[in-house]
Amino acid sequence: MLVSPLCTLLGIRYPILQGGMAWIADAHLASAVSNAGGLGIVSAMNADAGWLREEIRKTRTMTEKPFGVNIMLMSPFADEVAKVVAEERIPVVTTGAGDPSRYMKSWLAAGIRVIPVVASTAVAKLVRRAGASAVIAEGGESGGHVGDLTTMVLVPQVCDCVDIPVIAAGGIADGRGMAAAFMLGAVGVQVGTRFLAANECTVHQNYKDRILRAKDIGTITTGKKLGHPVRCLKTPFSRRYLAMENDAGVGKEELEAFGAGALRLAAKEGDEINGCFMAGQAAAMVKAEQPAAEIIEEMASQAELLLRGGTRWVS
Amino acid sequence: MVLEKLSKLIAEHKDVDPAGITLETTLESLGLDSLEVVEIIMEFEEETGVAIEVNEKLKTVGDVVKLIGECE
Repeated sequence: MLVSPLCTLLGIRYPILQGGMAWIADAHLASAVSNAGGLGIVSAMNADAGWLREEIRKTRTMTEKPFGVNIMLMSPFADEVAKVVAEERIPVVTTGAGDPSRYMKSWLAAGIRVIPVVASTAVAKLVRRAGASAVIAEGGESGGHVGDLTTMVLVPQVCDCVDIPVIAAGGIADGRGMAAAFMLGAVGVQVGTRFLAANECTVHQNYKDRILRAKDIGTITTGKKLGHPVRCLKTPFSRRYLAMENDAGVGKEELEAFGAGALRLAAKEGDEINGCFMAGQAAAMVKAEQPAAEIIEEMASQAELLLRGGTRWVS
Repeated sequence: MVLEKLSKLIAEHKDVDPAGITLETTLESLGLDSLEVVEIIMEFEEETGVAIEVNEKLKTVGDVVKLIGECE
């Protein structure tokens, strides 16, 4: 059995967190992951307090296990959803797209364990000082909003600069990636892309099919010009976006407007022309639709086997 | 004093002349993204021991100087 301080910290069986994917990580997926012994996460995305409260309550009817909420700090509703997680006594909050320090006091007072996603050592140090319980070091292999550093390079450096548990994310879709993350110093992993193909994931079937068909070179990062790069599958939308980005005649506002709502179109409508199919580089490693429990057990048992066999390289 | 120290750190990061950095210089014109801003602020902290609460509304070098002033 895998032994990790993260399991004790969060009250989970397997040190696997499910990524807080906007428009995708809802009560269905989060409860399935939590029921399977991982930590399911509901994404608060750009939704308001009412929506989040309802989703949290729905999740509670579907699992008795702990689950978390991901708060996207750039959301126009960040202030109100930050209050909801405290009022609802959510045990774990992960954060993305910014510095959560402004909410830290109220969350810590509510007994929440705050686990920010970080893309550099300086941000890891900053959130550690503000009271984070752990950090998710997310490499640029991930889907959605990404930093430049790879998981391989970021994780050990974050481990060296903070004294709290480090969770690795980005490019991890099987037990090999998970075992490697432990070797880099992490005590757990966050997995997004592979859970897109979970049976319980309510994302549009076209999205799942695109993930299952993806090749190793099937993703690109767009949005560098706007200062917030996004990794997504190569589709008519992302190719067009990239062409517009490289066209000096297209302004930032036009680019922002073109991208607005594209993820929802992909996730909810399955729109293969105008939708943005955010996914990590590991999409090509996702081979089948499976129950979340099977994904988790497969990953954990493969990681365990590999970590046990690690001694074969030394005499 | 703060501007001088900050300009020096920015100059080291971006290979520019610190003398060209003023309170009005925008972070965008220096090509600083949000991760680099945090990096520079953390370096400033390590050199001076001042704990700085970073916020996301920083637009100019003057904003950063003001923020550091509020935390000192």
